[in-house]
Amino acid sequence: MNITFPSLIALLLFPGGLFLLGSGLFFEYLDRKLVARFQNRIGPRWFQPLADFIKLLAKEEVIPAGTIKSLFILLPIFALAAALTAALSVPLFGFKPVFSYNGDLIVTLYLLSMMTLCIGLAGANTEDRFSIVGATRALTQLFSYEAPFMLAMLGPAIALGTWNISLINQGATQQSLWFIVSQPIGFLAALIGLMGKLELPPFDAPEAETEIVAGALTEYSGRGFGLFKIGRDIELVVGLTLIASFYLGGFSTPLDFLWKVFVLLLITAALQSLFARLRIDQTVGLWWRIGAILVLCQLVLIIIGNTLSPFIAPLLGG
Amino acid sequence: MEAKQKSEKFVVPIGPQHPALKEPGHFEFTVDGEIVTNATARLGFVHRGMEKGVEDRNWTQGLYLMERVCGICSHVHAMAYALGVEKLANIQAPPRAQAIRELVAELERIHSHLLWLGVAAHEGGFDTLFMFSWRDRETVMDLLETITGNRVNYSANVLGGVKIDINDAQKDALRRGMDFLEERTKHYLKVVTEDETFLGRTRKIGVMTYEEATLLGAIGPTGRASGVQRDVRVDSPYAGYPDFPVNIVTSVAGDLEARFVVRIKELYESYRLVREIVDHLPGGDLTVKVPRRIPEGEVISRVEAPRGELFYFMKSNGTDKPERIKVRTPSLCNWGSVLTTAIGHKLADMPMILAGIDPCFSCNDRMVMISGKKTETQVWDWEDLRQYGIEYYK
Repeated sequence: MNITFPSLIALLLFPGGLFLLGSGLFFEYLDRKLVARFQNRIGPRWFQPLADFIKLLAKEEVIPAGTIKSLFILLPIFALAAALTAALSVPLFGFKPVFSYNGDLIVTLYLLSMMTLCIGLAGANTEDRFSIVGATRALTQLFSYEAPFMLAMLGPAIALGTWNISLINQGATQQSLWFIVSQPIGFLAALIGLMGKLELPPFDAPEAETEIVAGALTEYSGRGFGLFKIGRDIELVVGLTLIASFYLGGFSTPLDFLWKVFVLLLITAALQSLFARLRIDQTVGLWWRIGAILVLCQLVLIIIGNTLSPFIAPLLGG
Repeated sequence: MEAKQKSEKFVVPIGPQHPALKEPGHFEFTVDGEIVTNATARLGFVHRGMEKGVEDRNWTQGLYLMERVCGICSHVHAMAYALGVEKLANIQAPPRAQAIRELVAELERIHSHLLWLGVAAHEGGFDTLFMFSWRDRETVMDLLETITGNRVNYSANVLGGVKIDINDAQKDALRRGMDFLEERTKHYLKVVTEDETFLGRTRKIGVMTYEEATLLGAIGPTGRASGVQRDVRVDSPYAGYPDFPVNIVTSVAGDLEARFVVRIKELYESYRLVREIVDHLPGGDLTVKVPRRIPEGEVISRVEAPRGELFYFMKSNGTDKPERIKVRTPSLCNWGSVLTTAIGHKLADMPMILAGIDPCFSCNDRMVMISGKKTETQVWDWEDLRQYGIEYYK
């Protein structure tokens, strides 16, 4: 939908800002509810994530001894800010992005990685052994899924010849064949990579509660933890929006956006409840032995296809 | 919490309070990266002094105290105690009572194994299996409640028999429950032997060979998963087991997967036994009279708890109170196997290896005194112990 909002409203209220925070919480609720239903539980009520968030904000924040105080306080804010900034170039809810420019795809992908970096730093900043092990695992996992995830997002970009998210979205709507059909490997890598980014099961080794309590965020309580949590929720929204706009034929209306993103959420919830947690070495192995190679092969095929298409198209009668 | 460096090594503590532990215990894993190079355990956080406490109660009251040694396998404790007292008094509970004892024991094994399946799956991050197995466990919990009136401390035993009878409606409920659970258990066996991600966490993990298992004295399903043919129900049948015999389930693999498979196959065995007892329940009385004062003597009472052999030593001095009751619970025998198999594995495998023996902490907590010289012997009575406790916490 080509409605342009005044920039202040777009930043603070809709579609960015407050509305984005709200939908982050709603997505978290949906995710928890779906996983709960798949596991034959009742699941939370709709306002539970909001209640959790308010409670965390109101709670005392304990800053443990031996940490760099400023870093401890600033990291959650950075993480949330990065997630919110990443949302600026994404066609949220089917509306035109607030801030669109050529190459914003790469910037957005980097901003999405900020969260994991902040979590890793936050864990390394404290002296808690669980935090340090968690931080190591978070960063190891980042190293494993980051490259395949990025390559997967580049697939549609290269096929359409533009690195502008908004243009890719438009291009995807005009494609006769959705990219999920023409680039299935890329779609899978992107979706599973997003789950790894958000440390959702089965990629929750960095915060495996039965081993290392809460991983890198063990020492966080109150506001810092709340900010990390909502930052992750927003990343879920942004990530799902990106994948839906790239691989599910893009969208131009809010309704289009909603059903596509919810289908993706349903798939991720099902994947979350299907598998046992992967060990960190299994995660790295999975991504580099299978994921990265498959995505690379696909990328090479796309590039070859792009180069050859001017010659093949006339032969096909195009 | 300050990072503790022991000669350049990184120690990850698990417990006494940790999300992986449902009861307090303390484990220190020395890790090199993610690989565990050393493991130590410290128990004793929930020592309750029950053995000493039972000496201050009469024989009947002791039954109710011993039933509370463990919350998961309460019935086997009461049964071991009751069987021991009956042996001391030289009486036999009637066959119907013995069969009902076995029935409740097998129902308890079903609930315990299903509970363990859920906990072990949760330790491996497979929460869906956790939720499903606990949901199905409610079936057997309801059955236990229907039969005995309680979900945890069933209190089915009295000295000289049982206090509950099984009527036809309960028999039908039991048959239906077993049919449902058998169907579900088939599914779980399929999941733990075929699910790729789950096998990645269990196959060839925590392997304990037959030699190691015998050397470390592993018992129960943990030992049987390593090929140790040891089951008190088979070796020296008690209660109703001579009439309704059980087939021993073993595996030779010795890894975590084998421990899953052995326990799940034991569930089938329990379903079969419950059906058989329900179909051929002997008639007759439920109790015989037991004297208030138990004749002087010593006796050993052994039963197979869900976790392995439960051992009671009982000594009577001819009064209405026991002179000494010594309990050795199965978890205690299996700790050694955890600490040995842990070394060389990844930190991520520790919760599952720990859970693999189906640990139960509070029932095996003991007070340990380490004296200076090896040759020195020391006898402490209750008063000395009490004084020591007061001094220690001063």
